[in-house]
Amino acid sequence: MKILLVEDEPALRSTLIEALRQGGYVVEVAADFEQAYEKVKLYRYDCVLLDLTLPDGNGLDLLRALKAESSTTGVLVISARNGLDDRVAGLDLGADDYLAKPFHLSELNARLRAIIRRRRFQGQNHLVFRDLVVWPEQAEVQVNGEALTLTRKEYDLLLYLLANPGRVLTKEAIAEHLCGDSVDAADSFDFIYTHLKNLRKKLQEKGAENYIRTMYGVGYKLSAE
Amino acid sequence: MRLLPATTRYYVLLSAGLFAVGSGVLYVGINRAVRNEVGEQLQNHRQELVARVAAGQPLPEPVFRQQYVVSTRPRPLGYSDTVLLDPTEGELVPHRQLTFRVARAGQLPVWVTLRKSLVETDELLAATVGSMLAVMALLLLGIVLLHRYLSARLWAPFRHTLAQLRAYDLQQHQPLSLPASAIEEFAELNQALTHLSRRLVADYESLREFTANAAHETQTPLAIMQAQLEQLLQVPALADDAAAAPLVANLYGATRRLSRLHQALGLLSRIENGQYTEAVPLDLAALIEEKAEQLAPLLEARGLAPHLQLAPAPPRWLHPGLADSLLHNLLHNAIRHNLPGGDVTVRLSATALEVSNPGPAVSGDPARFFERFRKHNAASESPGLGLSIVQHICTYYGFGLAYEFTPAGARHTLRVTFGPDREPGSPVLHATAELAGG
Repeated sequence: MKILLVEDEPALRSTLIEALRQGGYVVEVAADFEQAYEKVKLYRYDCVLLDLTLPDGNGLDLLRALKAESSTTGVLVISARNGLDDRVAGLDLGADDYLAKPFHLSELNARLRAIIRRRRFQGQNHLVFRDLVVWPEQAEVQVNGEALTLTRKEYDLLLYLLANPGRVLTKEAIAEHLCGDSVDAADSFDFIYTHLKNLRKKLQEKGAENYIRTMYGVGYKLSAE
Repeated sequence: MRLLPATTRYYVLLSAGLFAVGSGVLYVGINRAVRNEVGEQLQNHRQELVARVAAGQPLPEPVFRQQYVVSTRPRPLGYSDTVLLDPTEGELVPHRQLTFRVARAGQLPVWVTLRKSLVETDELLAATVGSMLAVMALLLLGIVLLHRYLSARLWAPFRHTLAQLRAYDLQQHQPLSLPASAIEEFAELNQALTHLSRRLVADYESLREFTANAAHETQTPLAIMQAQLEQLLQVPALADDAAAAPLVANLYGATRRLSRLHQALGLLSRIENGQYTEAVPLDLAALIEEKAEQLAPLLEARGLAPHLQLAPAPPRWLHPGLADSLLHNLLHNAIRHNLPGGDVTVRLSATALEVSNPGPAVSGDPARFFERFRKHNAASESPGLGLSIVQHICTYYGFGLAYEFTPAGARHTLRVTFGPDREPGSPVLHATAELAGG
């Protein structure tokens, strides 16, 4: 999976590169509009991570250029502008998704995976993790070939964990993923705990291994080992 | 006390004093003038009599006993005052008399007393004071009427200025526009006030810009901090130290809170800037259901029952982001200040949206609940901007917002009353356009 990261802020860029590589992506980088334009013209990417505020241009113009070519490349807009209007403009121009800075890397990961999944297989795909199989389009989960019934939030939680295998997920990231990013995490730690407890119980009832680890004081992690 | 009655009071006091002194002077003056005049007349009569006697004619016989008395015995000479009883009126009347000696040839001299009635003192006094009082009354009436006229006419610009000041709202980002008055004092006042309001607007603008810029500029460093802290959490070495990971996680949480705070402040200043002019028709009932679904985990965790009573209503023209923020903050507020096992009731009708929840009575002025950084509980991690955002959105769209506490059942209710639906893209504030124009 090849990603183009368009981000002008060096410190954020290097951290994003590191996180994306850990997530198993091949990452190329553009630090400004010109570089980014050249790269999207020359190469093909599964997804472009696009910062809107670039020193020499507006990311929205790059989005327009991409869409004009009816490229199959997915676009995830990341912007510090946080204007609700930016979001609308980006999505109207054909961006697949929008993330306001600052964001959780795990959330970025989950969104990125969802975009690539949709674009690559037109939905006809499934995720496999050890003894788990998930069909995201049908929202179906199987453990060892047996169907698993989950509530909506439990399913969302499982999918979020599956998008970030081996990554420590903070409670804040999980809470905001489940309830929208305007939810104060402090209010919601108790429900994360409840949902996780239920999810674990259901998985164990079907004989799945306990691969959801609690990281004390931090959050949770889907253990790949 | 109003200015004009106050000045009138001093006018009245001064004129009363002046009139008292004036009445005294007038009385004394008139009295003296009358006596002088009477004395002169008596002198004239005397000369006439003396001339007559010198011409050898006899003294006339007294006709009016009181005015002309002839005595053969000596009497004190010169002017003197006396009081005689007027038999017809039965009153004592003051008289001025002149006594002189008339030497007649070949006869014994006689003493002649000529008298003339003086005006009665009381009458004089009454006339003087009466006329003075009448004049004074007229004058005071004149002053009062004049002041009434002046206050209606001359003070009109002042009252106009006052009304404008009362209605002045800094949020509209407009300096005062006061007319130039023909009266110099008012013109100066208006000028000073206009100047002051211009400075206020400028200061407010720069403060607002500062807040917006600060909120925006902090997002990038916060994004770096948050991303790097999250990466730090992935470092395997951190798992070996039980104390280290929670430290980083706390830092991470704090960074998140800070960025949330800045987002809220940024939202507030953008609403104030009138940046959300776009509007689309929104089905509020569907939005509320969606929000309730989104917040379901929070409701469940606290054992709160959502009661949605959503009457079908025509779509409203709102900015989707603001509508989302409005509903989110209303619901979140109802969840946060609820009792365990309580409920969150949302009532939507064509004219109003009502969110109510049970909760302990809160002290303090309800109007202050909408202030920024207002917290019910000081230890709360929430910055206390939710209701302030709700209020700003309501003001922006011209909606009414009211808080109510019903002691029976201890329910808190927040009611948003919709105004008439406006044309899309014409919110209450036209701040940016007006600023550019003015």
